[in-house]
Amino acid sequence: MAEESFLTDDFLRQLINVGEVDILVGLPTHNNAKTVGSIVHTIQSGILRGFPRERAVIVNADGGSRDGTPELVTGVSIDDLRPASNPYALRTLHSISTKYASNPASGVALRTILAAAELLRAKACVVMSPESANIEPEWLSKLLRPIYDDGFDLVTPTYRRHKFEGLLITNLLYPMTRALYGLRIREPYSPEFGFSGRLGSQFLGQNVWNDGTGGAGVELRFTLAAITGKYRICQSFLGEKDHIERRSADLVPVLRQTVGTLFSALEPDFPVWSAVAGSQPAPTTGADREVLLEPLRVNRKRLREMFSTGVAELESVFQSILSPSTLAELQRIARLGEEEFHYPAELWVRTVYEFAASYRKSVISRDHIVQALAPLFRGRVFTFLMENRNASADDVENNIEGLCLEFERLKPYLLQLWKSRE
Amino acid sequence: MPLNRDVLWYKDAIVYQVHVRTFHDSNGDGIGDFPGLEAKLDYLQELGISAIWLMPFFPSPLRDDGYDIADHSAVHSNYGTLEDFRKFLGSAHDRGIRVIIEMVLNHTSDQHPWFQESRSSQHNPRRDWYVWSDTDTRYKGTRIIFLDTETSNWAWDPISKSYYWHRFFSHQPDLNYDNPAVREQMWNVMKFWLEMGVDGFRLDAVPYLVEREGTNCENLPETHEILKELRRKLDEQFPGRMLLAEANQWPADLRPYFGDGDEFHMAFHFPLMPRMFMGLKLEDRKPITEILQQTPEIPPSCQWCLFLRNHDELTLEMVTGMERDYMYDTYAESKTMRLNLGIRRRLAPLLDNDRRRIELMNGMLMSLPGTPIVYYGDEIGMGDNIYLGDRNGVRTPMQWNGGTNGGFSTAAPERLYSPLIQDPVYGYPAVNVLRQKASEHSLLNWMRSIITVRRSTGVFGRGSIEFLYPANHRILAYVRRLGNEAVLVVNNLSSTAQAVELDLRRYKGNIPIEMSGKNMFPRVGDLPYPLTMGPYQFYWFRLRRI
Repeated sequence: MAEESFLTDDFLRQLINVGEVDILVGLPTHNNAKTVGSIVHTIQSGILRGFPRERAVIVNADGGSRDGTPELVTGVSIDDLRPASNPYALRTLHSISTKYASNPASGVALRTILAAAELLRAKACVVMSPESANIEPEWLSKLLRPIYDDGFDLVTPTYRRHKFEGLLITNLLYPMTRALYGLRIREPYSPEFGFSGRLGSQFLGQNVWNDGTGGAGVELRFTLAAITGKYRICQSFLGEKDHIERRSADLVPVLRQTVGTLFSALEPDFPVWSAVAGSQPAPTTGADREVLLEPLRVNRKRLREMFSTGVAELESVFQSILSPSTLAELQRIARLGEEEFHYPAELWVRTVYEFAASYRKSVISRDHIVQALAPLFRGRVFTFLMENRNASADDVENNIEGLCLEFERLKPYLLQLWKSRE
Repeated sequence: MPLNRDVLWYKDAIVYQVHVRTFHDSNGDGIGDFPGLEAKLDYLQELGISAIWLMPFFPSPLRDDGYDIADHSAVHSNYGTLEDFRKFLGSAHDRGIRVIIEMVLNHTSDQHPWFQESRSSQHNPRRDWYVWSDTDTRYKGTRIIFLDTETSNWAWDPISKSYYWHRFFSHQPDLNYDNPAVREQMWNVMKFWLEMGVDGFRLDAVPYLVEREGTNCENLPETHEILKELRRKLDEQFPGRMLLAEANQWPADLRPYFGDGDEFHMAFHFPLMPRMFMGLKLEDRKPITEILQQTPEIPPSCQWCLFLRNHDELTLEMVTGMERDYMYDTYAESKTMRLNLGIRRRLAPLLDNDRRRIELMNGMLMSLPGTPIVYYGDEIGMGDNIYLGDRNGVRTPMQWNGGTNGGFSTAAPERLYSPLIQDPVYGYPAVNVLRQKASEHSLLNWMRSIITVRRSTGVFGRGSIEFLYPANHRILAYVRRLGNEAVLVVNNLSSTAQAVELDLRRYKGNIPIEMSGKNMFPRVGDLPYPLTMGPYQFYWFRLRRI
């Protein structure tokens, strides 16, 4: 029976004209006109410098921009119709674009990029963020060379970040994926990553696109699929990562995309993660993290208030998610003043694991479970900020490592909870 | 078959380049000669070519394959006599084949009597026939062409105790074109051959005739004046004869050699050739279309000369450093294959003996704007011998059959001027004229066929070109037009099958008729015209409005 393709005829025609490629650069966009112009030029430079002989294409999957974003992307094509575009380019560089109608966070963009990579038989692919204002041409080589030259299947980035940036990653996503899946990937959910054609094809064929999660956070599923599929994974240091301010304001959607995705992956991946003990470092080119220490103004008071309010207002929800002892301890610290407040690592790990187990089987909707984690995460962030207020780069790293080890140490607790929910 | 009397004959010509030494030995001394070449004219007539370009056959010490001429008005004894040449020329003309000979204007051999006189004394009347200097510091801004062998453009002459100027090998002193006597004498040399009946000259190394301090001594206005003077005399005294410029330059620098139609009739398009190879390897038309976009218009009476391979290395002077590296890495992995700034290989080995690629490259050669030149032996896919020195690996004897010496000569094999190609793939037992004549689908018979198709219309020699730029960059498509006639050419540069849609709205209502099989294709309408192309496939369609 014929099934409607998610690729449009026009996009297919563009792909036919591009033909087989060695390198594919995927660029998901949605109203990124302010930044995308400089980003595609940087991508173009990265291709011309790093891969001047290879057949390359830039594939833009756009979520319905109304600010001319796709036109900015396609405008950087190098071809013989625009001979002045780059007289030193050895070959044609297509930059093509397609629009999709659904929610930009739905995963359709990555699915489109993966489909293009498979149809074009791309050997090495990279997804770049349309918002990374400080992207350098060298990022392309750093994410692609390990695949193109050394046979890796997934290259995740590491960055130079401020110690208080990426707190969801340092306090949850990194330590938890590390503890459960056994591989120390510092950025398991990143807007930039490289992958092999074979990993892309394998993931494209997985049933993750219509599994009820709406495809949100599919990039994290991609990383987890690479681990569970025993693909070769490495990390590559890119450099400084800019702030993306607008994300910090919308914690709940971010939690849905990331933590929700991680929790939902635990069930199908149980045979893998339940058999893993400890963790191994991933091969890394360059630093596995660099920390910036300059003073940063953070509204800590509001974080603590939101924690305390959340613990009080969501008590009935927490009762069906958390164990009595965990909830009691959270209620105790919620009453503490700012100076005494401390959300310790062990309690945080127990909290997360209990949420994960509850996510598997609970009377509450999964969406509400993830939402309920938001105030608790803010409380944990408050403690992280306080603990690392005057910390050196090494101290910060030691604290993160300590949290990771706590996640690993308490993994049996998660297994116990998991089985009790069967 | 009488000669075509059209003065623009060179625009429709298909030129066959050959050195008399390499083609056929009639007297069993191991060296090809004019009687031998004459004996093979029927073969060339059957092939369909309409002109022969002969490499230097003059008396010479042969230290540069005859480009070091020691007597401009005679035939080297290895190749026969002046009478032999005259007879060959008449036989060629009888078959409707014109003869273009080489003329090296820029320099002579150091064994030439003119140079011997010039060096003999600072007071000799011919002293000023060459460029002498007390120092080797003049014309500092001039590049050295043969980088692999020469370190300076000046050479010390121990006899006259001064330096002489040479742009090529040090045994090839440059003539002094500031001397009117030299100019007059070189015209007399040309007149000698023109009176005998030759149809044109390929003038070697023309950018370098004049030297001026503070310049790069190339393409100088004074050089153009000298060439224009030669052209004026040629037109006045020998109308219908032709001058072909050898100037390895960028198209914009070449353009002045056509003048206002009053300098050269033709010039080689050197930068196109490496880009055809590059486009094929990249599977991307960009290098080809870009260089043709940069190629200036030339006067209506003038013509570009196109070639795939010739007696020299595949020159990479007219490419960027990145392009040169790419060409070396993809076409000459072994350093033995490289010479100066080029690759000393024949067509078939360059293309891995892939018949489809050989045909595609010849298809483009025959259909892009210009007069095509076929290098001897390439019509049967001859190989090369990279272990012979200099460029001799692409100058081995013609392979006529699988018998003794490949049918080239009856001499003992060790007496041949060069060993034949003997490897299992390209050797004369496998690759030879006799065998390919007998095989309907041989490369030789395919070449005959495509030459016949090319000659069936004047559109390829004289028509305009309009590129179509389909979105699939692996497809090189263009329309050649001459009057009401239009030919659509579509080339697939890719090793894989390709789909392409062509914007042919301008030709709406025309029926494309494939020119080799004469079969009709669907009529052109308003919609993009779809074609599917096999690997390295090309089509020539005559667009007919019926």
